[in-house]
Amino acid sequence: MQISNVITIFRKELTDTLRDRRTLVFMLLVPIVAIPLLMMGMSKLMIRQITKVQEETSKIVITGREWLPSELDSMFTAATDLTFVDSSTFADTGLVEVLQLGRYEALVAVPDSFATHLQMERSARIEIKCDRAELRSEQAEDRLVDLLDDYRALLIEHRLTERDVSVAILEPFEVNRENVAPMQKMVGEKLGMMLPYLIIIMCFMGAMYPAIDLTAGEKERGTLETLLVSPAARIEFVMGKYMVVVFTGLVAALLSLGSLVFSMKYMVDQLVAQVGSMLAMEFEASTIVLIVLVVLPLVGIFAGVLLSVSIFARSFKEAQSYVTALNMAVILPAVVSILPGVELDYTLAMIPVVNASLIMKEAISGTIMWNYVIVALLSNSILAALSLVFCKKWFERESVIFRM
Amino acid sequence: MIEASNLTKLFKDKKRGEIRAVDNISFTCRPGEIYGLLGPNGAGKTTTLRMLSTAIKPTSGSAVVYGINVAKEPQRVRSRIGFLSGNTGLYRRLSPREMVTYFGKLYGMTSDAIKERADKIFAMLDMQSFADSRNDKLSSGMKQKVSIARSVIHDPPAMVFDEPTTGLDVISSRTIVNFIRQCRDEGKTVIFSTHIMSEAMRLCDKIGIIHQGKLYTEGTVQEILDQTATTDLESAFIKIVEG
Repeated sequence: MQISNVITIFRKELTDTLRDRRTLVFMLLVPIVAIPLLMMGMSKLMIRQITKVQEETSKIVITGREWLPSELDSMFTAATDLTFVDSSTFADTGLVEVLQLGRYEALVAVPDSFATHLQMERSARIEIKCDRAELRSEQAEDRLVDLLDDYRALLIEHRLTERDVSVAILEPFEVNRENVAPMQKMVGEKLGMMLPYLIIIMCFMGAMYPAIDLTAGEKERGTLETLLVSPAARIEFVMGKYMVVVFTGLVAALLSLGSLVFSMKYMVDQLVAQVGSMLAMEFEASTIVLIVLVVLPLVGIFAGVLLSVSIFARSFKEAQSYVTALNMAVILPAVVSILPGVELDYTLAMIPVVNASLIMKEAISGTIMWNYVIVALLSNSILAALSLVFCKKWFERESVIFRM
Repeated sequence: MIEASNLTKLFKDKKRGEIRAVDNISFTCRPGEIYGLLGPNGAGKTTTLRMLSTAIKPTSGSAVVYGINVAKEPQRVRSRIGFLSGNTGLYRRLSPREMVTYFGKLYGMTSDAIKERADKIFAMLDMQSFADSRNDKLSSGMKQKVSIARSVIHDPPAMVFDEPTTGLDVISSRTIVNFIRQCRDEGKTVIFSTHIMSEAMRLCDKIGIIHQGKLYTEGTVQEILDQTATTDLESAFIKIVEG
């Protein structure tokens, strides 16, 4: 193998590839433009949804309001975020249906014995019905429960004062709870799910078009044969092409990483500013280095497999349909990062894509287990090398290269 | 000089079993001579030429190009052969100059040598006006010239043309035909395949009739006509293959 030939081929293929609009779309446009737009759009939508619901007053249907003790009744009236409608308005309709129609958020049923039981210091019961599948309904329930809690505290205070007992007797001690999970881990849990998946998919897509174009595309255009009769050895143009595919896949992955980090930061800042969520987002340099390290051998596998599959195809179209199937085979294991409860072990660390996905996920949430990382890097590198060897063998087979 | 002796190529096909695409073919093609392989589609012409140009390996038999065995030293044979077929295409997103330079480098030429040779070829084929446009913007005639330039950038002593005019319009195919003649006049060894009888008649110094992988007969056009007692190649061909 002559390195100068590999370089000649690499440079030519790169020039050719970078002039291809389809490649540029997947390699540059999607990571740089589409991902941030998607993420920002999502955050805008989320914020709008949350703030809108927060600003709304909850409409609540109440039955038996007349049985409320007057103090609670006036608290209901005074609550600014709750409006009550008497159930007598819906004489014929089932009350639960009213709730399900979504015009009212919750239902409060006061039994006729409520006030008297309270008066007699017997245990009383009040019912709330809500639809937890609805954000609004859940919010109405929270607000009602808060209000009732306030009233209960008031009542207890009254009763204790009557008996000359200090309120403190109810709370012999206080529990101070503090969440010690680093903020990075909490955010990481959520963002860590999406980021590996997106990076892996973008990496694959970035490598996809060049791989097809440099193999099946050459077959289709009739340039492959001219290359075959040139003095460049098979291994030289396999290497040259392989390097170009690795390059474009890597660029797509790194650009996606950059733009995901940037837009997630933006998203989190927005959420913190507008909703006051307890979010923080910090990407450490070591995390990013690890992600790059994990992506490298993975691109190597993608390039080898993509080139082997597409050189086998007779035409661009045929290659595309193989690659689409392959795409599914990458998406499924990549999704592992989104599944809850899947954790790295030595078996999973050896499975390509799955290992990368899980390592990235854990790195983002702040834990790096080097034993698994090393196993994964080794396993992926070996597979990448094997895919390259297979690719070379495939390129040397007449039945593959002249499969027309 | 190209010499094929007992050249054979077998393909394995799942449905049809073993196919003898080229069956024990021998011929010699001399410098300054155009040797034409004439036969219908599927006769084995392309397979033969692919073996000569080292794209595929012979199953048995041998071919020697200027003293070098195609199976043993394919790399060295490649730099002595220029290959052009009706199907060979161009890199659409490169310019003629980039394309020719790329192949020049693969043939191990220096940048200066490539530039000098390319300028000469571009002048000869009247290509200067579009040498730096992108290939996909060129007309089909211009594209043919780029293909020609690509095939001779390394100034090979032997030229292999596999159905070079198939699918071309009159103007493009005349460009090719003139180029083939010019190669012969320069003293190159030219081998050429076609299924068009008239083309073979006009162009070839020597013709080999090939059908179902076998070389039936060879000779000058006149010899073949005399041998079969016919006046045109088409009748001669039919007579020869139908025995």
